[in-house]
Amino acid sequence: MKAISGKRWLPLLAAGAMLATTLAGCSGGGKTEESAAGSAPNVENAYKEKYDPPVTISTAWGVDPALTFKNGETIENSVATKWAKEQFGIEIKSLWSVTDTNGAFGTKLRLAMSSGQDMPDLLTIGTADNQIAQDLIDSGMYEEVGPLFDKYASDTWKEAMNQDPNVWNAYTRNGKKMGIPVLDYAYNHDYLLWIRQDWLDKLNLKAPKTIDEMEKVMDAFKNRNPDGLSPDQVVPLSIGFKTSMNTWMGDPSWIFGAYGTLPQQWNLGEDGKLAYGSTDPATKEGLQKLSGWLAKGYIPQEAALWDENKTAEPAVAGTAGMIPGPYWMSGWPLKDTVQNAPNAVWTPIEIPVGPEGKTMRHGTQFTNGVTLIKKGMEHPEAFFTYQNYLFDNYANPEPGSPYDNGLFAGYDYQLDANGKQLPIEEIDGGYVNVVRYLLVRDGARIPDAQMKALQSLAEGNEPKTKLEKDVAVNYGPETPAAAQVLLKQDDISYKNMFTGPTTETMKSKMDYLNKMENQTFNEIIYGKKPADAFDEFVSTWKAGGGDQITQEVNAWYDEVKP
Amino acid sequence: MKTLKKTWPLHLMLLPAMIFLIVFSFIPMGGIVMAFQDYKPWLGIGGSEWVGLDNFRYLFEREDSVQVIWNTLIIAILKLVFNLVVPFVFAILLNEVRKTALQRGIQTLVYLPHFLSWVILGGILIDLLATGGLVNRTLGFFGFGPYFFLGDNDLFRFTVVLSDIWKEFGYSTIIFLAALAGIDPSQYEAAEIDGATRLKQTLHITIPSLIPILMVVGTLALGNVLNAGFDQIFNLYNPLVYEKGDIIDTFVYRTAILNGEMGFGTAVGLFKSMISMVLILISYRLAYKWAGYRIF
Amino acid sequence: MYHKTKGYRIFSVLNTCFLIFLAVLCIIPLIHVLAVSFSAKAAADANLVGLWPVGFSLEAYKKTAANPLFLHSLWVSVLRTVVGTAVTLLITFLAAYALSKENSVFKGRDVYSWLFVFSMIFNGGLVPFYIVIQKLGLINSFWVLVLPGAVNTFLVILMLNFFRGIPKELEEASLIDGAGHFRTLFSIFLPISLPSIATVALFSMVFHWNSWFDGLLYLNNAKDFPLATFLQTVIIQQDMSSMSMNPKEMELISQTTVKAAQIFIGSAPILIVYPFLQKYFVKGMTVGSVKG
Repeated sequence: MKAISGKRWLPLLAAGAMLATTLAGCSGGGKTEESAAGSAPNVENAYKEKYDPPVTISTAWGVDPALTFKNGETIENSVATKWAKEQFGIEIKSLWSVTDTNGAFGTKLRLAMSSGQDMPDLLTIGTADNQIAQDLIDSGMYEEVGPLFDKYASDTWKEAMNQDPNVWNAYTRNGKKMGIPVLDYAYNHDYLLWIRQDWLDKLNLKAPKTIDEMEKVMDAFKNRNPDGLSPDQVVPLSIGFKTSMNTWMGDPSWIFGAYGTLPQQWNLGEDGKLAYGSTDPATKEGLQKLSGWLAKGYIPQEAALWDENKTAEPAVAGTAGMIPGPYWMSGWPLKDTVQNAPNAVWTPIEIPVGPEGKTMRHGTQFTNGVTLIKKGMEHPEAFFTYQNYLFDNYANPEPGSPYDNGLFAGYDYQLDANGKQLPIEEIDGGYVNVVRYLLVRDGARIPDAQMKALQSLAEGNEPKTKLEKDVAVNYGPETPAAAQVLLKQDDISYKNMFTGPTTETMKSKMDYLNKMENQTFNEIIYGKKPADAFDEFVSTWKAGGGDQITQEVNAWYDEVKP
Repeated sequence: MKTLKKTWPLHLMLLPAMIFLIVFSFIPMGGIVMAFQDYKPWLGIGGSEWVGLDNFRYLFEREDSVQVIWNTLIIAILKLVFNLVVPFVFAILLNEVRKTALQRGIQTLVYLPHFLSWVILGGILIDLLATGGLVNRTLGFFGFGPYFFLGDNDLFRFTVVLSDIWKEFGYSTIIFLAALAGIDPSQYEAAEIDGATRLKQTLHITIPSLIPILMVVGTLALGNVLNAGFDQIFNLYNPLVYEKGDIIDTFVYRTAILNGEMGFGTAVGLFKSMISMVLILISYRLAYKWAGYRIF
Repeated sequence: MYHKTKGYRIFSVLNTCFLIFLAVLCIIPLIHVLAVSFSAKAAADANLVGLWPVGFSLEAYKKTAANPLFLHSLWVSVLRTVVGTAVTLLITFLAAYALSKENSVFKGRDVYSWLFVFSMIFNGGLVPFYIVIQKLGLINSFWVLVLPGAVNTFLVILMLNFFRGIPKELEEASLIDGAGHFRTLFSIFLPISLPSIATVALFSMVFHWNSWFDGLLYLNNAKDFPLATFLQTVIIQQDMSSMSMNPKEMELISQTTVKAAQIFIGSAPILIVYPFLQKYFVKGMTVGSVKG
């Protein structure tokens, strides 16, 4: 090879430098947004039921990959955008949209900012992209929403928001509310325990109430299997922890809960401070229990490799005896079990109690995202017109509302000649989950409304309201009963109390600490390390940044706690 | 002056490729400066804070930095070597199958796994390699095992490398088959007359003829020396094998991609590129010096 | 003749058996996917399907055929593969010819080839790339699937190595005849390089067929997605813990059999291409070969 002379490279270098400057110049457009903010005119009494002439709200969409479209519509131009125009005089302008898989929505938002594109007036971001929502708040491009909410939100919406004052925590900065939480149904994936009632019956056993009783049941399921399965074919308790010890289906966190803590989340201690569950001594006992169960074959031998959906497989196959999961699991996936094991009957039971009478489970947040409003948006009140209407008329309307059967006829419901609702499979051209076309995904949800509807059904009432009809049709016949089982234990659900932005020390240390934690926990469960490795982990965790993180988390909590 | 007259068409031929390279490769390279920034999307490249070598420091100063880089190197180099050797040997063996239909049939079948993504293959492997899965049952029949292939630090790298070869060797064979078909048949005829055995023919004609293309493919593969295969590891790894299985890319995914730390991501990319560049330079020189072959 | 010796015959039989065994190992996953696609939903969801369908059902294929998005993305993929490969071939062909000249003949050749290698190794990451795509107005354009990946250094280097195998005399004769480089390239090199073109074409086609990230990021509308992007949206599991789930939706998302059918149909076209191109690898490679 002949040496490439410096001279030949020179022009290239120069060109490179030039290009770098060009790039620098054309990005960072966000700054202009910032300076243009502040001076936003806030017109008095701007709130209207309908705007004439129409006003515009711009937005960007992260489209759920499973969302379908019909009649040649797109997210930009759908039955819902037409409806907004006619109903409220609100023109919904799409800046862009992206099918949200592999984190594409978050990536695209970052790229849009980086390339200095116009940012949308209104953005709804799910908790999966929490980091980008926090970044957007920090960017200073988005408005403080607290005063707007107080001024314009309807009573229904405000009441719904007050059901858990903690929902604002994640989006509060220095006491200012910077984003409107998107409300979700309460308890949606708080879990209970599903058990094979037919197996219990054949073995003349009762549903286990304690961890000890549970062990006896698991042993019977495995070694005296009523369906004649050999011990190595049976998964007495189907759980997995590939991604986390704290999830929604096949979740093991209640086993720790039986000893008094929930791992991998921040729990509120008796001293009013937040503490990381994984370092609580109770976690050690939970790990020992799991380790024993793995050795006895009560839980899957590959549990460390199993994610949530994998834990459902033996349950559906009819080879699992128990699986923890949401109350609606009889609708999916457990209803298919009978096709593989014809006698299978799944029953929901309460989470078993630990040796000292303790029970805890992971609780569902009342929020699943946030809506941000851009500084300088011309008509922020128009968003409230839109959203108030949904809360008042769609979220949980009395019978007789125009949205009694659903949102849009021919999309999420269809009536037959007698005005009766058709099963959704029979909708012409197919069912479309049309609420996902709305500015805020799922339209408007009042956290406790769904459970109330289920309770009414469980008491034997005919479904009357929209929500009651919805759960009756969509959640499977056994769900109301399961919901009651769940609610019997509503005092054992504990949410992760830290919902704020990643703290400084978390940024540099958390990944390593998590890695060490997962590694240690799994090695203890698999018997590769003695249980005492846990103590070592705790001291390393604390010294390696954990104490610092705990301080930062508590500083955050002191600031936001209601 | 004379050479210029003769070569302007050559420059012209390179023009389209150069335009594409400038637009889609060299201009975006300006973004490399992000490696030295605490990049914030809303501030852009022009407005983000300069942090010197902080991003690189973060890569090297973690408690497990050495472990992660070491894992990456080992897995990547094993893959690199075996993904050269296996297709190379396979191509030579396949060349000995004399029935054209059978030869083509085998060739087509081994090329199939390349087209399934690791998401799918990962799911299949977890079942196949389970303690009660097909592989362990087969091994058990011969009195081995059971092995926890995906949950054992001693076996994980082996499993990863082997399954990667299984997926890719058929596809990688194509280049060698193309090169094999190009060997001048008269060479074999001459050897035949000299009474050389097939083994000798292979050693003295076939293999030397394939060496240049082997060097080309091998050198270019060095560009991936710090890529141990994100998709594969991400779908197969689990806390039990972090010690031997966590690689730079999975680590970057958890820290940079999920958190939007683009400056750090760029820094890691730049580090990997520099290592690759150095290795390619060395390999290029060695090939020229020892084999007299200019790879590009 | 060597292949009549006893030793070689034994080798030949063992060798053939071994290679068939490898081939069988390689089709297991595809057969599994195929078996799942023809199975009943409940059996597939319970992971009861091995290499043979359980509860045979054509439901998955009916659903796939009825999905307009799937069929359209199949078309987009074909189009992108054909157009993309054509563009790549032309550019690669021209560039590789120029680069295959000796440094003594073509001064500056080394600079060019290092530029290619440099572009392969270094990249500025997603942000500046996206800005360029955006400034060029390629967002939401079909061409975003074709142009950015048009130059592939690996293919250029591969082809230039193939070109080096073409006897110098051919080229010199042509140049002495007064033909320029372009005429030499198209009338002398092109006809005898069909095999190497086939190789490069195959790699380019596979690249285009499998690329999904560009579609996801630069195309807003799922209607315009190529198949690989479409499949990605189907295969990748969503992060359920942050979604508001209900059984109806979960049912929609977790269609194991339909996914399997789509994966199979999605890879079928590119699988068929290879046996078809195999003809070129054997015939005529003599001329366009790698020089030993």
